[in-house]
Amino acid sequence: MAENFERHSDISAADLARLTQEAQAEATPSTAKIIWSEFKADKPAMAALIIIVGFILFVMIGALFINTPKMMETNIMGYFNQPFTADYWLGADSAGRSVAKQLIVGSRNSIGIAIGLTVISSTFGICWGLISGYFNGYIDWGMQRIYDFMMMLPMTMMIIVLVTIIPHYNSVTLTFIFSIFYWEGTSRLIRSRTLAESEKDYVAASKASGTSHWKIIFREIMPNISSLIIVDCTLSFAENIGVETGLSYLGFGLPSQTPSLGTMIANANDPNNITQYWWTWLPAALEIIILCLSISYVGQVLRRAADASQRQGALD
Amino acid sequence: MSLIEIKDLKVHYPIRSGFWNRVTDSVRAVDGVSFNIEAGETYGLVGESGSGKSTTGKSVVGLEKVTSGSIMYKGLDITKAENRRKLDYNHDVQMIFQDSLSSLNPRKRIEDIIAEPLRNFEHLNKDDEKLRVLQLLNIVGLDADALYKYPHQFSGGQRQRIGVARAVATNPKLIIADEPVSALDLSVQAQVLNFMKKIQREFGISYLFISHDLGVVRHMCNNIAIMNRGRLVEIGTRDDIYNHPLHIYTKRLLAAIPETDVNAREAHRASRLAVEAVYREQQSKYYDEHGEAYPLVQVTPTHAVALPQNVAQQLARQEGEVQA
Ligand SMILES: Nc1ncnc2c1ncn2[C@@H]1O[C@H](COP(=O)(O)OP(=O)(O)O)[C@@H](O)[C@H]1O
Ligand SMILES: [Mg+2]
Repeated sequence: MAENFERHSDISAADLARLTQEAQAEATPSTAKIIWSEFKADKPAMAALIIIVGFILFVMIGALFINTPKMMETNIMGYFNQPFTADYWLGADSAGRSVAKQLIVGSRNSIGIAIGLTVISSTFGICWGLISGYFNGYIDWGMQRIYDFMMMLPMTMMIIVLVTIIPHYNSVTLTFIFSIFYWEGTSRLIRSRTLAESEKDYVAASKASGTSHWKIIFREIMPNISSLIIVDCTLSFAENIGVETGLSYLGFGLPSQTPSLGTMIANANDPNNITQYWWTWLPAALEIIILCLSISYVGQVLRRAADASQRQGALD
Repeated sequence: MSLIEIKDLKVHYPIRSGFWNRVTDSVRAVDGVSFNIEAGETYGLVGESGSGKSTTGKSVVGLEKVTSGSIMYKGLDITKAENRRKLDYNHDVQMIFQDSLSSLNPRKRIEDIIAEPLRNFEHLNKDDEKLRVLQLLNIVGLDADALYKYPHQFSGGQRQRIGVARAVATNPKLIIADEPVSALDLSVQAQVLNFMKKIQREFGISYLFISHDLGVVRHMCNNIAIMNRGRLVEIGTRDDIYNHPLHIYTKRLLAAIPETDVNAREAHRASRLAVEAVYREQQSKYYDEHGEAYPLVQVTPTHAVALPQNVAQQLARQEGEVQA
């Protein structure tokens, strides 16, 4: 059969190297590259990205040098120490524990949970949505009834109940408990786009080319909804920082001996702290605001850049 | 033996509703269609939009879940998935889609698009595969530059030729061409059709050529089937259909071909209105009491029409007199 193609085209194996080189010279940059270059052009977005990445690296690495149990010991000498002193950059709380160190370890815990939660719940939600939307029919119907059931459960209450009945839990178990309840939004979003995408002829063409269902779902359809996935993940990440923080603040997140942004903001429950000892809670609150704003700004720029690469595509 | 034999093909789409998702009704997109395609020929399937042509075409490629009926290829019924697997069916039967933009994955480079059937069916080594893709691009008249570009960087006609290249990649026996040029400008239409004809000559491929326009089909097809609301209303050779049409639906389609000769426009318009009038008045003669087409009856060895036996004979006689 190969002879058939030899005979009816002007190209033979001898031309392969030359033509490949010619084609490479004319190659179009990939979408990822286009997004990256648009990103580089937007200075504030770049700054937001550097803040996020730099801060996460700082707390992840910094926390390694801090001995947490020792840090959490009560130190009467440091009782509500003022900030900006040699021993306590950001002061100390009612037990004389360094706020700065707690902030680093607490950020590590909170952000770690947020990253874990985003990775687990988004991966699960994306797979659920893709499979449900692609197969349609009975599979979709069954998966959507499970989705409906999960949506019916009162989420915060369920988490509080689970946290109360599980005797020993830490950041990892907490992340898994949260994940049970945080994939639904993503799955619904992804499913509706997958339904539309599956109708397109390129999916039919792939089926007719003998490509398997799994390859079609993850190699053909998923790249086409990648901009939606990127944006959804960044926004979920910003939201997920708030999830752990909120529950810890209420006293149902991490145990009180484990510092987190939520337990630190909970210092503000004491009216004395709010007015007199502001350094016990304000840094954590500011950190969350700056981090969430930066993340959602990066998300917006990513969305714009992804759309732009599509627009640019439509133009030329 | 024919290359492919379609027998009493039915595709009904269930309409589901309610919490339990029960089937409450169905759309009969294809409702008892039978025809054969011979090796090396171009078979035309023509009808208005919504008449079930695409559904028929997709069933033949194996993309549609068939309600009943059979499609025989090499002695096996390929409406069953296990037979398709056994035959590596899509190595031999491929498809060209109407919408060239949506049928090419916008996130894939041309090389990966054209190589997709090769990777699944032929498992060539990297160099042989790239060589084959370059040869295919050359055959449809595109430069090697196209290799690492994306579909949106090409014009409609070029994209459709990329679709043709992908369909030809495994040197199939049959290609279903679903309105391959309907979305293109007239000048580009001819160009794409010429490439398709050239490829047919060189590779001995059969086409099932689907169109809503009898004007386009005329230059491509030896045998033609006319489809109306899920059923075939007339089957015949090119001569039967264009020169001796019997069913009113065929006559309407013929009257709808645009007239390019300016002087003949007025006469063309008059004849179209006349056909329209007959269609409105004589519905009951051409369709049964439910408004559905009759079963096909043979009037000559090559020509069949969906009418009661006596009406068909009478019309054939009239048609013959006009000819004489
Ligand atoms: N997936 C589907 N579900 C329900 N109805 C469908 C589906 N696909 C096609 N149909 C219906 O079947 C009929 C035939 O469609 P189609 O084969 O696309 O016609 P054509 O290609 O001749 O325009 C139409 O009435 C259309 O609405
Ligand atoms: Mg169609």
